[in-house]
Amino acid sequence: MSDPNGPVLELKDVAVHFGGRGGLFASPGPVVKAVNGVDLTIGRGETVALVGESGCGKSTLSNTIVGLQAPVSGSIRVAGEEVVGADRRKLNDIRRHVQMIFQDPALSLDPRSTIGATVGEPLKVRGVAKGEALKQRVGELLTQVGLRAEHADRYPHQFSGGQRQRVVIARALALEPGLVICDEPVSALDVSVRAQILNLLVALQKRTGVSYLFVSHDLSVVRHICDRVVVMYLGRFVEMADRATFFANPKHPYTRALMSAVPQADPVVQRGKERYVLSGELPSPANIPSGCAFHTRCPLATEICSQVRPELTPRPDGALVACHHA
Amino acid sequence: MSADPIPLLSVENLTIEIGGASVVDDVSFHVAPGRVMALVGESGCGKSLTSYAILGLLPDAAKRTGGRIRLHDLDLSALSEREFRKARGKDISIIFQEPSASLDPLTTVGSQIADAYRTHNKVSRAEAYDKARQMLADVGIPDPDRRLHQYPFELSGGMCQRIMISIALICSPRVLVADEPTTALDVTIQAQILDLMKKLVSERGTAIVLITHDMGVVADIADDVAVMYAGRVAEIAGVHSLFAKPCHPYTALLLASVPTLDDAPKSDLATIEGRVPTPDEFGEGCRFASRCPLVTDKCRIEQPPLFDCGDGHRSACWHIDRMPELMEAAA
Ligand SMILES: Nc1ncnc2c1ncn2[C@@H]1O[C@H](COP(=O)(O)OP(=O)(O)OP(=O)(O)O)[C@@H](O)[C@H]1O
Ligand SMILES: Nc1ncnc2c1ncn2[C@@H]1O[C@H](COP(=O)(O)OP(=O)(O)OP(=O)(O)O)[C@@H](O)[C@H]1O
Ligand code: SF4
Ligand SMILES: [Mg+2]
Ligand SMILES: [Mg+2]
Repeated sequence: MSDPNGPVLELKDVAVHFGGRGGLFASPGPVVKAVNGVDLTIGRGETVALVGESGCGKSTLSNTIVGLQAPVSGSIRVAGEEVVGADRRKLNDIRRHVQMIFQDPALSLDPRSTIGATVGEPLKVRGVAKGEALKQRVGELLTQVGLRAEHADRYPHQFSGGQRQRVVIARALALEPGLVICDEPVSALDVSVRAQILNLLVALQKRTGVSYLFVSHDLSVVRHICDRVVVMYLGRFVEMADRATFFANPKHPYTRALMSAVPQADPVVQRGKERYVLSGELPSPANIPSGCAFHTRCPLATEICSQVRPELTPRPDGALVACHHA
Repeated sequence: MSADPIPLLSVENLTIEIGGASVVDDVSFHVAPGRVMALVGESGCGKSLTSYAILGLLPDAAKRTGGRIRLHDLDLSALSEREFRKARGKDISIIFQEPSASLDPLTTVGSQIADAYRTHNKVSRAEAYDKARQMLADVGIPDPDRRLHQYPFELSGGMCQRIMISIALICSPRVLVADEPTTALDVTIQAQILDLMKKLVSERGTAIVLITHDMGVVADIADDVAVMYAGRVAEIAGVHSLFAKPCHPYTALLLASVPTLDDAPKSDLATIEGRVPTPDEFGEGCRFASRCPLVTDKCRIEQPPLFDCGDGHRSACWHIDRMPELMEAAA
């Protein structure tokens, strides 16, 4: 690949839409604009958190980056190579640099395959290793995630939820990707297990220099693990900042509402904090409000907000914010 | 558990067995009117079974083998299924974790709420619908007239949960059991539902048993907290006392494993080694013994009872006096 110090991922004006065309038999339903005009760069060894409510487009964007979903426009570069429009062979080559970890480890493991077969599969398929070498590499990967080489012969049901997520992580790391997309990797796990997996992800990053795009709605986890935060609302980024700036000085009214809504595990802090409860529900992405998509729920909204869409603009402390009044 | 007002709901020494193992073991707590009691603990620790037992809704595999449950002076655990059906909804109600799974997909939400009212009140359909409309407004659903005639699939998850709450509250029960009522919802919607529950408690004096695994939710709304581990109460205390001075090693480690404002980014979080024992591994001693940093031989042999550590704060641990040692190591 090109520049070894360049970014692992560059998104330019990426848009992903669903439906609308109405095939031969389908009724031409409304177009769901799940992702719209998104720009993002992730550097080597960096962790970027992507936060936002259900349906805002986090998984759609993740799926698009790994090539499970095609964008309607925009450019996606992985380690400098363009993904959009690339031929099959090239795509295959690019994709080994990006792996994905999903929320529910139970659903991402085949119950009939041994742990060893699951972790070794990407190596075997790509002909990276076979026979004794494959077995040894699988053993190394399992050890790296805190399991043991002997575990290779066991099946998923013989493991706890946290151990299964370790298996999923081992498989994601098998091809030494530059970027791992973690879609809510700890949400399904108990608190005490969650801490083990977060520690593991951090340790692996320190050792291998892997970058993460970390999708989560848990802001205390995000604050712990990320270098930068991106907030998404109805398919668009509304705020982007480095961790310290983001948590010290959140600016977009939606970001502030999210922060206020996440309960802190401390009754004194939680009961003393400023409340900023949003009214109303998330509008449908098939019917995105005009102007600023947040104006229907925003406590600061004025007339201009429903008419003109605010662009992401830089602030003195380096944050990018899309709001007329923040 | 300061200056206990007279309890409305009392769970006393509740024990539930499945296949010979006590998956809920000797669990006791009390809830007074206008108070919120939180049950917290990891997956499988027996929170849902405890709540089903309160409502007389235990699955066939599970048997209540000990203890009783009282609602004021009524012994719920002595009721027949028929008598229980009368109490359910009227005196005591439950909301489940998955709103979409517990609503009837083929019936309008208005008719589901009205039916719940008519089960316990002899009124006309029209009167029941009026009541339902009022209820929807109370739980903060805009445009209730339109919503009454919609089906569950036409509503968002947050709205379905409000419908569930409406059904649970339409007969003004004195006790509400809420099993993970916000776990499936977005945080901004969760905040709305928690605010709604606070309003119920302060305006109607409803007593709430809230089941959750989220320490943030506990910190937000609970008055008292019972921390459960492997079917037993490990620690029970007023919410401020529990967070300020946990007296059980499990609670202390659980609290330390949640990232906080004070942690350095990407630093190691405290973890609890090992895993929760399965019911067939419970044994004679403390159920936390296999993972506890303070463990001694005594812990492995003899089950610790709940000891008082002041102000009604109680902990089931032989080594409460060594907690400072643990807190230092975790910090
Ligand atoms: N294959 C699809 N066809 C049609 N619409 C889709 C499809 N996949 C996603 N959508 C819609 O696109 C929008 C964004 O969905 P997405 O799954 O990306 O949200 P998300 O942010 O990951 O939400 P969650 O937090 O619930 O996982 C939603 O409105 C969803 O219904
Ligand atoms: N119908 C059933 N048949 C057999 N075992 C059951 C049944 N329901 C619960 N159990 C077992 O009883 C124990 C307690 O389960 P319970 O559902 O009360 O846990 P919980 O604390 O609510 O967990 P979660 O946080 O995952 O909801 C678990 O070991 C569970 O596997
Ligand atoms: S642009 Fe207007 S509507 Fe949008 S967030 Fe800012 S103030 Fe609110
Ligand atoms: Mg998603
Ligand atoms: Mg449960």
